[in-house]
Amino acid sequence: MPPHSAANNDDLLTVSGLNVSYGESKVLFDIALSVRPNQIVACVGRNGAGKSTLLKSIAGFLKPTSGSVTSGQTNLVGRKSYDIAKMGIKYVPQDKKVFSDLTVQENLELGSYATQDYNWDRVTDYFPKLKVLMARKAGFLSGGERQMLMIGRALLGSPKVLLIDEPTEGLAPSIVTHLRNVFTELSKNTALVIVEQNLPLVCAISSKVYALKEGRIVAELADPDSIKVDACERYL
Amino acid sequence: MMDTQLLISGVIFGLSIGSIYFLMAIGLSLCFGLMRIISLDQLLYYSIGAYITYSLSLATGNVWLGVLGGVAVGGITAFAVERLVFRRIYERELTFSMITSFGILIGGIGVIKFFWGVVPRPVPVPTMSQIDIIGTDVPVYRLIVVGVAALVYIGIWLFLNRTIIGKAIRAGIEDVEHVEGLGINVSRLFTITFIIAGALSGLAGGLHAPLIMVDPAMGLEVLAFVFMVVIIGGLGSIKGTLISAFIVGQVVSIGSLIYAPLAMMAPFAIMLLILLIKPTGLYGSTLVKK
Repeated sequence: MPPHSAANNDDLLTVSGLNVSYGESKVLFDIALSVRPNQIVACVGRNGAGKSTLLKSIAGFLKPTSGSVTSGQTNLVGRKSYDIAKMGIKYVPQDKKVFSDLTVQENLELGSYATQDYNWDRVTDYFPKLKVLMARKAGFLSGGERQMLMIGRALLGSPKVLLIDEPTEGLAPSIVTHLRNVFTELSKNTALVIVEQNLPLVCAISSKVYALKEGRIVAELADPDSIKVDACERYL
Repeated sequence: MMDTQLLISGVIFGLSIGSIYFLMAIGLSLCFGLMRIISLDQLLYYSIGAYITYSLSLATGNVWLGVLGGVAVGGITAFAVERLVFRRIYERELTFSMITSFGILIGGIGVIKFFWGVVPRPVPVPTMSQIDIIGTDVPVYRLIVVGVAALVYIGIWLFLNRTIIGKAIRAGIEDVEHVEGLGINVSRLFTITFIIAGALSGLAGGLHAPLIMVDPAMGLEVLAFVFMVVIIGGLGSIKGTLISAFIVGQVVSIGSLIYAPLAMMAPFAIMLLILLIKPTGLYGSTLVKK
């Protein structure tokens, strides 16, 4: 049995006994995890292990068949995804799909409208490149710029937890390095849950790693000494 | 050879009928673009708009007041239908919304028959003035209809491009789930879009009423043309809807001058031709929500 995270009063996010199905097909089995302030928590596993499903379930895009997802004293299961986002738990999807017909500025305006946070300095401090791209249609951005925009958009409203799905997939090494620095910096104010296949990145920045296999958590690495690439690979 | 006066009359007639199609098609196009539903019930709000215009103009003697009433009742009815019916079926298949909305349309026609009877009703033209355009007397009312459609286009463009709700609707047309993920209540956007669509269909009915006899099945009579406008223009595109409405309007109008049955057949031929060249329609996006 994998070690299960016990709920703690300090936790920003607690998942326990989470089961999720797509129709008749069960995808997640009895998932338990916890996220504390300033933590970077990584979920690793092969394709189809259920990592993205886990993030979508936390963010309210999928309805679990049983189990709980709590933030503080609030149970998030059954809440609409926009409600969960308003509570400060934001999901950045894997597909790098920005609103391509809208400009970068309009994309950020939508983030501001939802959160009533119009301070974009925090976003452009992390991603200065967005400053010069404000008038460009988001559909014309490169993959890296799209990822910056998606994370930047999610940063508005100072979220408590960012759920980021495969942020470095298909990006150039220089952008991956930039994102790595951003994630480390972000974690001073915001907890991050990252689904990622890039194990060296995961091991460099994470304070906790959950390994998923066939919908189950098979390992929880919480000791900094245990978060090593070969240790993670062992569970994949 | 067609004489110039006949041609000018035909073009103006085509522009005015195209304007009516445009006003109706915006709703269908936006509803499909954002909610991925085929909202045939828009044709009911068109009929309601016409009947309210008839009743209010009869009661007050003011057709414009009737048109305003048609807009209001069209919007309110759409709001009620969205809340009571569509909200429960957004997650379902496209065909489900099509069948449901067709049921609402047929049921609504029954309600219209109950209140107003089956006899077609005339609505007076608010102004009988004519204006001379290159030697041809053109009814001012038809030009007013074209002007209203132009104003609506500008208004909708400003709404979608200059207001935050409009931008959220445009974003939702691309991906509803991502909009919701930002913390925006998408179901509120759906309701706003539905009210706008219903009000514009009501406006189309109100403006069309003085040009035709108002009858319970009037929505069904324009069904095919409005669908063609949406398909030719490209689903979800307001600019495409405007252009295709005017194309269909002209084809119907000029076609009927050349050979009457062409008015019914030619728009289908144009639609097939355009779809052969551009399957997404003139301005249709290849981005389709999964």
